[in-house]
Amino acid sequence: MGLVAWRGAMQTSSRNKVIVPVPSSSRRRRAGIAVVLAALVLAAGCTSGGGSGAAGQAPASTAGPAAPAGPLEVKLVATAKVPPGGPNARRAAQQATPGLQRFLDRYLSAAYVDAAGGEAGWDGLLRLFDTPVRASARKQLDALSLGAAATTVSAVRPDRASARAVVLYGGKRPEAATVRLAFDGTADTAQGGGQVHLRSVLQLLATGEGWRIAAFDSRTGPVK
Amino acid sequence: MGLVAALAAGLVVAVSPRQRATAQDAPAVTVQKAHAGSAAPALKGRIVLLTVGSDSGAPKFGRGGAVERGRADALQLVIVDPAKRRGSVLSFPRDSYVPIPGHGTNKINAAMAFGGPQLLVATFERLTGLTIDYYVLTSFDGLTDIVNKVGGVQVDVDMNLRDHFAGAFLDKGRQRLDGGQALAYARARKTLPGGDFDRSRHQGQLLLGGLGTFQRQVAEDPAKVMTWLGVLRDEVKTDLPFPELLRLALVANTVPPANIRNVPVPGAAGSAGGASVVRLQPGAYALFGRIRAGRLS
Repeated sequence: MGLVAWRGAMQTSSRNKVIVPVPSSSRRRRAGIAVVLAALVLAAGCTSGGGSGAAGQAPASTAGPAAPAGPLEVKLVATAKVPPGGPNARRAAQQATPGLQRFLDRYLSAAYVDAAGGEAGWDGLLRLFDTPVRASARKQLDALSLGAAATTVSAVRPDRASARAVVLYGGKRPEAATVRLAFDGTADTAQGGGQVHLRSVLQLLATGEGWRIAAFDSRTGPVK
Repeated sequence: MGLVAALAAGLVVAVSPRQRATAQDAPAVTVQKAHAGSAAPALKGRIVLLTVGSDSGAPKFGRGGAVERGRADALQLVIVDPAKRRGSVLSFPRDSYVPIPGHGTNKINAAMAFGGPQLLVATFERLTGLTIDYYVLTSFDGLTDIVNKVGGVQVDVDMNLRDHFAGAFLDKGRQRLDGGQALAYARARKTLPGGDFDRSRHQGQLLLGGLGTFQRQVAEDPAKVMTWLGVLRDEVKTDLPFPELLRLALVANTVPPANIRNVPVPGAAGSAGGASVVRLQPGAYALFGRIRAGRLS
């Protein structure tokens, strides 16, 4: 599978594309956050005489206490391949989107946000893998998550999480999907803050228990 | 009003270039070094598939009837060892004269007409001593549609072909075949020096060409796995449950075509009851024995 084709694939044509709008509640939440940020900035300006500390967005190198983690929200663009006589492709993509978003949220939470500190372990993450690939995933946690770095990290704040999915329908239900997932976050350690990145291609299988990862090609660490 | 102005001023401060530069210039901690990894399903044991091309159920070619009740004119046993990433394609002449359970001895391609894919599978299991896990069945229409929908398959054509009967007009060499050309290559027999043996070898080449094409496409765009699965879902009949089909496709992506031998099953032309048939030679049974013992190469 080709992470080398990542950039090209992320710029595919817009035919049959369904862009999932950010829920209106999220927009309201963001507007609220912006007002709160502005107020914090104002307060900082008042108390420090116009010092340089930007609020809300913690600088990458600050070693101070972690800012509250922002909500993890995967922006997903999905397309669907449907059988002849099956559902409308656009509607099918919309129908599959919430479930895929929930799955990717679970994945990124288990791999990064909840993994900080290393106390949660990896069983929750590994349960998201189909049985025949689970042992391989266990051996390659560093390429799929914070991995060994989890014990040195006190918190991970999501900066960006985006995904493109091609969903295969069998009849009226999704059966499989290919997902290209990108995640960027800010991690706090005792030595300071730094960026964490994930770029993955996940081949997913729909099961009675939800989506499971049947194969992966994944990369973590600095983005080239 | 003053509050609004103050908030606006605060926002401007928050996004000012000077502030951004300050954050960017500060040294960042390397939280995690670069790691890369990949994995396909780790399937246990050998997988044996029977791939079948039926002469029925192809309206575009004027072939009526049900695909699973036609004669099985293309017959390959695909054996894959996922752990070793090796495999074999055993190509059987359709005129192989073999015992068919409950139907005496007949051409192997008649088994499906007698009792559907299940009887064909039973015939192969009895003949080879191998347990067949699944069958995959398609028609003339299905083969041409599969090849056209995936954009053609790259095949090493091993001889110059001028076969009017099958409509095969191909020069030797590596080339991309469209659906019609692929079907013609799979059907050409009468003008080939080896007749049915050459034809069955060509059918195996098409399978391996399809595998190579699949791998190249998936390397460029991993979502092509969904394209191929969608095409197969629409164009083949199989007893493979979808989860296994997906897992097999992901495994197939890891097995180099060069690690899969295309082996025509040894046989000799003969006759039975006035009909020309192929009688499998002792080498065929030795081959089945080696496969049963797990020797794929």
